[in-house]
Amino acid sequence: MPRSLLTDFELMILLATLRVGDDAYGVQIAREIERISGRKVLLGAAYAALDRLERNELVTSTVGNPTAERGGRAKRFFRVTPRGLRAVKETRQALVALWQDLPQLKEKRT
Amino acid sequence: MNSQPPRLAVALLNRVVPEEEPLTGDLVEEFAAGRSRAWFWRQAIAAAALTAFRRSDEVRPLRLIDGVPARVPSAPATSRRTVNLTASPVAGVGGLSLAILATLVTIFVPQAWWIVLAAMAAGVVLGVVLIAIRRTRA
Repeated sequence: MPRSLLTDFELMILLATLRVGDDAYGVQIAREIERISGRKVLLGAAYAALDRLERNELVTSTVGNPTAERGGRAKRFFRVTPRGLRAVKETRQALVALWQDLPQLKEKRT
Repeated sequence: MNSQPPRLAVALLNRVVPEEEPLTGDLVEEFAAGRSRAWFWRQAIAAAALTAFRRSDEVRPLRLIDGVPARVPSAPATSRRTVNLTASPVAGVGGLSLAILATLVTIFVPQAWWIVLAAMAAGVVLGVVLIAIRRTRA
C-alpha cells in the first residue's frame, strides 16, 4: 500500500491550510492550529512539515512580494493539492475505522 | 520596548536557514505583532536545530571531512584535515549553537555558571581527545 496516511502534525497542517484558504502562509497556519487545537506550534517545525508535504506533492507553494513589516522578506503561500485533499480524506477514513467498535471509547449512557 | 527582533537570532537564521527567508519573515512579523524576544529566540534556535537535523540525514555522520578523496594517490601527505565534530553540513554551526546556548543559560539561569564553565572545559578536553584520536586513525 502506498504511503498516503499522514502523521497527526501533517494532518493538522493540511487542515489548517484548508481552513485559512488561498492566502495561507506559515504564521497563519501556525495560528490556526494553536487557535483550534491549543497546540503550540514551532514555525520551524511547521515549515519542515510543509516542505515535506510539498516534496510529496500534497501542497504547492508560491512566494509573494517582500513587505516592509517583515523586514523586506517575502511570504510563502501554501495551497493544498487534490492529492493532498485525498490524503486528508484517506487518513480520516482510516482513523474513523480504527475508532469504531472500541468499548473503551464508547460514551456511557445514563 | 525595542521593536527590532534580536539581531543575533536573525543572523543565526540567515546563516543556518538562508533558503527559508519566508520563515524568518514570519518570525519578524510575529515579533512586530507583540511576541517576546524569548519567543523569537526559542523559535530561531528550534528552526536552526531542525534544519541541521534534517540536513544531517543528507550528509555523512560524525567523521573527518577530507578536502580530497582519500584514494587519490597524488593527495599531498601534508594536507591538513578539517574536523567536523557536529555532523553539521554548515561549518561553525555547532560551535555557534553552543555559544548561543551558553549565553542564554548565563542570562536566564545565572546561578548555573559553574555548569556552563564545567561543560566548556569538558567540551574542550573532549574535542582535543577526539581530534587526536581521529587524526591518528586517519
